[in-house]
Amino acid sequence: MTLIEDFNTLEKRGFRLLPYVLAKNEEDAVQAAKKIGYPVAMKIVSPEIVHKTDVGGVRIKIKNAEMLRNAYKEITENAKGKKIDGILVQKMARKGVELIIGGKKDAQFGHMIVLGLGGIYVEIFRDISARICPLVKSDVEEMVAELKVHPLLEGARGKKPINKKMLERLVLRVCRFMMEEDIKEMDLNPVVFDELGCDIVDVRFSR
Amino acid sequence: MNKNIQNLKFVFAPRTVAIVGASATANKIGNVIIRNFLDARFQGDIFPINPKYTELFGLKCYQKVSDVPGTIDCVIIATPAETVPMIVEDCVKKKVGGVIVLSGGFEEVNRTDLAQKIAEIAKKNNLPIIGPNCLGVYNPYTKVDSIFLPRYKLERPKAGGIAFVTQSGAVGSTVMDLAAFYGIGISKFISYGNATVLDESDYLEYLMHDKDTKTIILYLEGAKDGRKLLQTMKKVNKIKPIIALKAGKGVGGQAAARSHTGNIAGSYLAYNAAFKQAKVTEADGIIEVFDFVKIFDQTKPKGNRIAVLTNGGGIGVLTTDYIESEGLSLAKFSDETKKELAKILPSYGTVANPLDLVADAGVEAYEKAIDVMMNDPNIDALIVIVLTQTPPIDERIIHVLTKASDDKRKPIATISIGGTYTEVYRKILESKGVPSYNSPRAAVKAIERLITYSRYWEQLKRK
Repeated sequence: MTLIEDFNTLEKRGFRLLPYVLAKNEEDAVQAAKKIGYPVAMKIVSPEIVHKTDVGGVRIKIKNAEMLRNAYKEITENAKGKKIDGILVQKMARKGVELIIGGKKDAQFGHMIVLGLGGIYVEIFRDISARICPLVKSDVEEMVAELKVHPLLEGARGKKPINKKMLERLVLRVCRFMMEEDIKEMDLNPVVFDELGCDIVDVRFSR
Repeated sequence: MNKNIQNLKFVFAPRTVAIVGASATANKIGNVIIRNFLDARFQGDIFPINPKYTELFGLKCYQKVSDVPGTIDCVIIATPAETVPMIVEDCVKKKVGGVIVLSGGFEEVNRTDLAQKIAEIAKKNNLPIIGPNCLGVYNPYTKVDSIFLPRYKLERPKAGGIAFVTQSGAVGSTVMDLAAFYGIGISKFISYGNATVLDESDYLEYLMHDKDTKTIILYLEGAKDGRKLLQTMKKVNKIKPIIALKAGKGVGGQAAARSHTGNIAGSYLAYNAAFKQAKVTEADGIIEVFDFVKIFDQTKPKGNRIAVLTNGGGIGVLTTDYIESEGLSLAKFSDETKKELAKILPSYGTVANPLDLVADAGVEAYEKAIDVMMNDPNIDALIVIVLTQTPPIDERIIHVLTKASDDKRKPIATISIGGTYTEVYRKILESKGVPSYNSPRAAVKAIERLITYSRYWEQLKRK
């Protein structure tokens, strides 16, 4: 499955993803950004690259066509020698708390959901909480309360609390999707939350 | 409840027991077990089964189970794995109530064929089989005891309200020995080994209905059926609190590298999630199991406001630290309480929480202060610290604390830290059912778990 196919599957299942276009060349990318609206992020899409940041395959906060053209050249240069499907041009995500919402099928307990501090810190801090599917609303509330990052979600240091209704709905949606489609492993990471809502930046799942 | 689970009553309270593989040779399994029954003065009939003998310990010995006249409720099998399916067949022929297979040599050595054979026979006939590859059961109420570790080496605990379900015989036997040492009462001990016929969930289900059992300890390495376990724990934990100890917590090599979730979610994470969803209390290590289980015998507190009573300031401060880190709160005494406590304290003492009775406090000061605290509606639970090393404290404190523990209006945990003298004193307290701890951390953690469970209990009642 390619990234775009994964995106399509999730959108069909009611996941609202950040607007994106898979650009095959520089001109494509410029047109895409114009359509989506600046600022945008650009990410390499390659079956040979899992950690895009590590290979210099990501550029963010691109404000205009000139920046975009430069970024395009840099990314393709960094990925030289690798098979490239294209460059993903994506609406820049909102600022906020980065969470991971994931799941896997456990040999003993079946589908389970993991919620945690997301982004590049997932494996370093392992600030996570898990529940066995199917989940109910109160499970999600408890998971949120268990996280060390919890105060940040409640609006620490003068910030507004994140939209927990949205988080709840998204977690339950992941749970339903995992069970109905019998997904083996899944990551929405990161999903950026603020007081208004959330942006799903990257997705990955396997059956 | 399934018929075969119901039939476990034949194993736990049999009128007649047959021991297959009974032996005259000292220290052989079949020898230890028959002595267990004789030494504990089992009230029913005992039938040794072994074609080698005509008589054992003055009892008539039979060639096989079906040779015994009359009904047999429980058969304990301690012969090599290959012989077990045939013996189980014979048990069915004899219409035996239930079977314990102690012998190893089944799934754990890849002889699933043998395991399958006994599973099929059991299923067809609703025959409960405990094991194989286990220590079987111990029931202090009926003196059934298939633990094949000699009684002089492994003391048997007295009768009480705690059931212990364990996958491992090794963990099971050490816990039994410690329970006996601390005078903690047991309702049922079940070492279930390979769980070939009945699994962990089936035993939980049985214990939920068992009138002698009030609290259940569950030791697990891996569940036979995870989803069934989650459903069963949810059901049982609502009626009787379960304290779970899970071994094998490492992330292991099974993680898939492709996904973050695959990387961070080892198999333990799923168990941890299941315990949380069932509101089961999870302990970290054998000692903590004891820490938790003994406080669950106390009255359920209505809230998390703790009063601390001490005759030594420092231990009170340490306790306060843990009250804070465990998310509990220090009670604010009512005006009435403050007035009463002032009367107990010496002129240089101050009324505060922790209440420091100071080192020259005698047993009477404790008795009065506990009484005042029991009456204060602003206090939900008591932690009583006793430095037994101070001159005025004598053995009458045991009576005072036992009375407080039996009072049942509020839960109480006691802390005493010290050497030989103090440990003897703690042992006496434990045997009288007073939760005693030798560390503030253990006491506060235990009380926190009781408060958390009680809160869940209250929520259920309101629904």
